[in-house]
Amino acid sequence: MSLKNDFFLNISTSIINPYIEDWQKSNRKVVGYYCTYIPEELLHAAELLPFRIRATGTKDTDLADIYMVRFTCSFVRATLDLALRGGYDFLDGFLVCNSCDHSRRMFELFNLKVFNRENFNKKVPQFYIALPHVITDEGFEWYKKEVEELKEELEKAYQIKEITNEKLLKSIHIYNENRKLLRSIHELRLQEKPKLTGSEFLKINIANSSIPKEIANQELNRIIIALKSRKSIDVSNKKRILLVGSIVDNLDFTQLIENSGAFIASDFLCFGTRYFYDDVQLVNRDDPLENITKRVYYRISCPRMMDDHLRRLDFLKEEINRAKVDGVLLQRINNCDLHGCDNMLFTHELKELDVPVLNIDREFYQSDTTRLQTRIEAFIEMI
Amino acid sequence: MSNKNQNGNRIIPYKMFLKALLTTRELIERILPKQGVPSLRIGTKKIESVIASYIEKAEEGLPVIGYHFSFPVEYLKCFDCVPVCLEATSYFMATLLEGGTENYYDLMNSWGHPFHTCTSQKGAMGMTLEDLFKFDAIITPTAPCDCTIASYPFFKYKKNFPLVMVDLPFLHEEKSYLYYADQLKSGLLNLGKIIGQDLNYKKLKEAIDIENQVNKIKFEIFDLIKAVPSPIENLYNPVSAGAYIFIGGMPENLSFHKEMLEITKLRYKNKEHHGGEEKVRSIWPYMITWFSIDLMEWLDRNLGLSVLFDIFNYNFSEPINTNSDLDTIFLGMSKKGMDFSMIKQSTEFFEPFIEYCISFAKEFSADCFIYTQSIACKQFGSVPQLLKEALMDEVGIPMLLIEFDAGDARMTSLKTFKEKISIFVQTLI
Repeated sequence: MSLKNDFFLNISTSIINPYIEDWQKSNRKVVGYYCTYIPEELLHAAELLPFRIRATGTKDTDLADIYMVRFTCSFVRATLDLALRGGYDFLDGFLVCNSCDHSRRMFELFNLKVFNRENFNKKVPQFYIALPHVITDEGFEWYKKEVEELKEELEKAYQIKEITNEKLLKSIHIYNENRKLLRSIHELRLQEKPKLTGSEFLKINIANSSIPKEIANQELNRIIIALKSRKSIDVSNKKRILLVGSIVDNLDFTQLIENSGAFIASDFLCFGTRYFYDDVQLVNRDDPLENITKRVYYRISCPRMMDDHLRRLDFLKEEINRAKVDGVLLQRINNCDLHGCDNMLFTHELKELDVPVLNIDREFYQSDTTRLQTRIEAFIEMI
Repeated sequence: MSNKNQNGNRIIPYKMFLKALLTTRELIERILPKQGVPSLRIGTKKIESVIASYIEKAEEGLPVIGYHFSFPVEYLKCFDCVPVCLEATSYFMATLLEGGTENYYDLMNSWGHPFHTCTSQKGAMGMTLEDLFKFDAIITPTAPCDCTIASYPFFKYKKNFPLVMVDLPFLHEEKSYLYYADQLKSGLLNLGKIIGQDLNYKKLKEAIDIENQVNKIKFEIFDLIKAVPSPIENLYNPVSAGAYIFIGGMPENLSFHKEMLEITKLRYKNKEHHGGEEKVRSIWPYMITWFSIDLMEWLDRNLGLSVLFDIFNYNFSEPINTNSDLDTIFLGMSKKGMDFSMIKQSTEFFEPFIEYCISFAKEFSADCFIYTQSIACKQFGSVPQLLKEALMDEVGIPMLLIEFDAGDARMTSLKTFKEKISIFVQTLI
């Protein structure tokens, strides 16, 4: 079965989609968020649609450049640019956490320049949660309180009588199912003869983040059946790559890699394994919110967690073996200090393990395709 | 090699720094008139004596503790140790050494440290990569920026130095102060375990008391800076920042500020301006050019432009009550730590920062703001335009934005700075 013009997968190429329109027609709210370090199940239990902010398709950042200097992340700038042009006017709420210096400042810029701009009259509630930068018991207690406060703020802002434990448990079930389905699809790409490409897998992940999870689960089940019955992809003449680093919500980039003689057999991305690797463990059924918070806090981290580099390295080592990769492609969006330094350490650590590594920097939009292609092709040839 | 030499070789950059300080002070003594640039004359002398004593202590074998500039140095006085500020080492050597710190930046860049990360850390990292620093432990808050969070793990994972991370919340509420107080206490206890020392609370209190007094004096100095013309030279800004970093919590810092207060009072009384005539009063809400602090003197003398203060000088916190119980003391330390230069602005939302700037502009009769946006400081990368609009709307004064690297002249040179500011000043006069 061809997934070329699949309706679900095509959601990944736009921001707004028919599912969001249907959702809002029935007077339900959409809350935008930047980073996977938020308790999505809590929003779901509040009958809100969590929508991960991205800038898919954005080519310019000239409006956002007025407010953000050129040393900031071009992905975040592109999202602001899109928002300044009205691309996020459909949001009914906005949740920011201190994931990184770039996205954290969107709390103020959206407040002042997007939601308060002329002729935009909708009142959009904004929420902020502060996440510790280390993984400790005290840090968890802090974050738990933050999430509990967020729950109260959501109830107040959207006049919800109570986000009950029953609702939270139901959301946990739906989200765990969602992550399980994504892991199943991931397994199909890990195979020696994979059923889908890395670019297709990225499409699935992006689409999954943009629609209600109940529908997404149905779609993912359908995709799994379709993939299983599909002919395997011949990647025998390609090099298997583990793609690591900054956010990738742009298919141009993964296609560029896969058109250069590589197959993205696995990843360590937030539109990838970092999102679905860990489930909520129902250790304490009386406090589902605590279980949700534990998953977010203790899950496989991104480099914004300062003391967790070795666990990330272990994850890479496991994934290198599981996906039988020939090399690791580390990438960062320019000005991302977090991924830049984590990748610096990975480069040396992986070289010591004799794993071929390429460490590249790029802009969010594909402004330097030839340079990237040359470097990636040279790397592929080398391994 | 003797133990003394071996021990001393743990802080070779401090030896280089001391030599640079000695040479600088010799030049000051020989070239400048007796009353010229008192902050530099007095400040370098005080810093020099303390650095010399640190080198001796390191040679005796005391533990060398690396720390982040935003971890108040007086808190480390609870240990018998040699505190080494990583960021200040990079930047003060950038300003004092003839070739700056660029060799060490390049070394780290070659090792894979991204070009857009902070040179204040890059320099010290390069020195450490070359084994010029050997720390017994390093302590840092998990703030104020991504560069800190991203760069410090290098010391742990590449060089195997014990790294104590003191988690600092990105939120200013009462619960944040309590949380950070606990973090500070457990961080210091953890550091003590690593170096095999108990916390000496008596010494800690003494150091805090000294800084309480320094804070009070700085308040007085800042009240005098409100006068037109400003009675203090521009170089006071970097020198007092350096004084805090290198001699904070010590009697030398107190005597430096006492002497500066007397000089400031005298100039205020005589309506004297260091540069001769004050033509423009500027506030630098962010950083100065650490790769060349002599820009400050040039602005004073050549343009009559006063730099009333920069980010490292305008943060004041409540005095810490050292007569209370330990929990209260740690709470006070937490509040000071969270109100520290750059930490405060980075872990709060923009509104308080912009409001402070507006009120500073009014209180200090500023004619303009000069906002230097350093390549590393992403947490400040979204504020310039908002601040510019607010200053024009609320106070009617302009703001010049200059993008640069605070510790590396190769990005925006001193010449470019001078040209940009000269043209800007022409539009004001």
